[in-house]
Amino acid sequence: MGVIVKKVELSWLDRTYVWPVMKGMAITFEHFIKQLFTATSKRYTIQYPEMKKEMPEGYRGLHELKRFEDGAIKCVACFMCQEACPARCISIEAEEFSDLNITQGFEEKRPAIFKIDMLRCIYCGMCEEACPKDAIWLRKDYEVAAYDRLSMQFGKWDLMNTYAKADGKDRISQDPTPTVPRRTIVM
Amino acid sequence: MFITFALITLLGALAMLLQKNVIVAGLCMVATFFGVAGLFVLLGNPVAAALQVIVYTGAIMVLVLFVIMMLNSHEEEKAEASRPVQRWVSLALVAALALGSVKLVLASSGVKALNLNGAALPRATTLQNVGAALFADHLLGFEVVGLLLLAAMIGAVALTKRNL
Amino acid sequence: MDKFASLLHLTPAILWMVIKVVIVFAGVMSLAAIFTWVERRGSAMIQDRIGPNRAALFGKIRIIGLAQILADGIKMFFKEDLIPTDANRKLFWLAPFLAFVPALMGFAIIPFGKSFVSGGVSYHLSVLDPGNGMGMLYPLAIGGMAVYGVLVAAWSSNNKWSILGGMRASAAMVSYEIGMSLAVVSIFMTTGGYDPSEIIGTQGHLPWNWNIVHQPLGFIVFFTCLFAETNRLPFDFAEGESEIVAGFNTEFGSMKYSLMALAEYSHMMTASALIATLYFGGWQVPFVKDPTVMLSVACFLVKLVFFAWVFVWIRWTVPRFRYDQLMHLGWKVMLPMSMGNLVFHAWRMSQGH
Repeated sequence: MGVIVKKVELSWLDRTYVWPVMKGMAITFEHFIKQLFTATSKRYTIQYPEMKKEMPEGYRGLHELKRFEDGAIKCVACFMCQEACPARCISIEAEEFSDLNITQGFEEKRPAIFKIDMLRCIYCGMCEEACPKDAIWLRKDYEVAAYDRLSMQFGKWDLMNTYAKADGKDRISQDPTPTVPRRTIVM
Repeated sequence: MFITFALITLLGALAMLLQKNVIVAGLCMVATFFGVAGLFVLLGNPVAAALQVIVYTGAIMVLVLFVIMMLNSHEEEKAEASRPVQRWVSLALVAALALGSVKLVLASSGVKALNLNGAALPRATTLQNVGAALFADHLLGFEVVGLLLLAAMIGAVALTKRNL
Repeated sequence: MDKFASLLHLTPAILWMVIKVVIVFAGVMSLAAIFTWVERRGSAMIQDRIGPNRAALFGKIRIIGLAQILADGIKMFFKEDLIPTDANRKLFWLAPFLAFVPALMGFAIIPFGKSFVSGGVSYHLSVLDPGNGMGMLYPLAIGGMAVYGVLVAAWSSNNKWSILGGMRASAAMVSYEIGMSLAVVSIFMTTGGYDPSEIIGTQGHLPWNWNIVHQPLGFIVFFTCLFAETNRLPFDFAEGESEIVAGFNTEFGSMKYSLMALAEYSHMMTASALIATLYFGGWQVPFVKDPTVMLSVACFLVKLVFFAWVFVWIRWTVPRFRYDQLMHLGWKVMLPMSMGNLVFHAWRMSQGH
């Protein structure tokens, strides 16, 4: 099946080739001038280390382990995320703990070790969906890089502090001993 | 200056003859042309020098090298069986030719006039002089040469392009 | 001047010559180096990009990326100097110089400022003084020599792409030279002389007396041919990254490559100086009858930089030509056009204009 291509009839002015070239030059010059007098912040190019792109809603970046106001980890070490993870990059070790203030004597679980291998993670967000406690979030930080492999193994405290600076929270490195009971158990 | 340019010319020519690689030989010839152009400048004829460079090095040698590259003989050609008799005969002939031409030049009226006038440098030839000489004194020769070149061009086209 | 010359045990004439040579060559070379940056930055701007702006002196002083030139130079200098095993070593060494020297030499004839008289001696601002009998034939001759840089570089590196690029570039250069020379000849005719200072003198200081107004056709031909001559886009057949890697300088690295690149830009400078001299009144300042020397030099520099910029500008406007289109344009359009231009001006002169 043939397609009939309509040939564009050029006017004599266009046939001279000089005039179209001059028109083209006007266009390129317009772009040049426009780009020259545009402020750096308004250009298309994002000058990376100084300027960063605002990621869209729902972007899945670096993980954060959420915490309560007093700094206690929300995670209850239920292993749901570890099960859901298709890349198998999460490894959790649970521990029991009890203290009178928080658990009022009951034994509860929390992760003693919560490790994510960032080299393996594919940022699919399954762990976030699987989590019954909303304890793990994938947020907007995309600058996950390091000089060696070992520092890409994020531990529990690393994960809890990933967004501390962005949110203006304190960095924590140990489980808190709260002074007031967090919740009363309704029996 | 003269010695420099003469040396460039002669060494270039010699290297061209002795060089086995065709392209290098061509480049040596370019050096020779340059030397000749320099000699022209020393003779007070910069126009001839410029034309020498434009026509010979800028066009003809480029085309010659171009053709050599197109045929592309990277292997250096082997010299054919040496023919000592022919070589000596040709050498003798060339020597006789060179001697004769030098003698002719020395006997010419122009050199004698130079001798009479002493070592006064001739005035530099300009393009205007060349044009006037071509179109006033040698008009017929100029036209004939033009016609000859045209005929040669048409002949070359006819030879290479059979079905016009 | 005299005192300074005697201090250096030189005659003033020789000292002046040395000064001129240094000014011209250092000027052209640094302009060429700057234009490597201008080209990258300008092309970026035309394409709505930003271009190299991050190279900084001592990691701090970021003068809109101008330090990029230095950085490039240093990088090139410290790179390994490779020669392919099958290359012709001598010619491979020679090629960058063969490319570089003609590109710089062409500038020698061009007067970059008004001649002035000081202490009864007149000083000319061009390396070759006017009246040398070579005139504008000199840049044409040297321009013809530029082919060898490409040709030798291509052949000596013993590489298919190099040879392809070098061959078609040299063919293009040779064929465009004819149209260019004819366009220049018609300027010789209307000027009645072929010395650049004469050409500039007859053009005068009024822009409507410049050759561009009298010979627009000749200008178009000359300008187009210069693009082919300098191997710039839209006629960059020597390189043609999209089809033959990098053409004639595929095998060249480190300082050899940078010499090749510098040669291209020096060639561009010489070409734009030629355009300014032949068609835009050289150092003549528009509407100023008797400019001071510095003003004339500045005006020439402005013209030079502008035309060099036009080379960059055209590069991002016009798409590349195919090889047969190039040959078609050269032989069937440019040559008849410049021939017609020549005949037309001969006719006009015979009518007594």
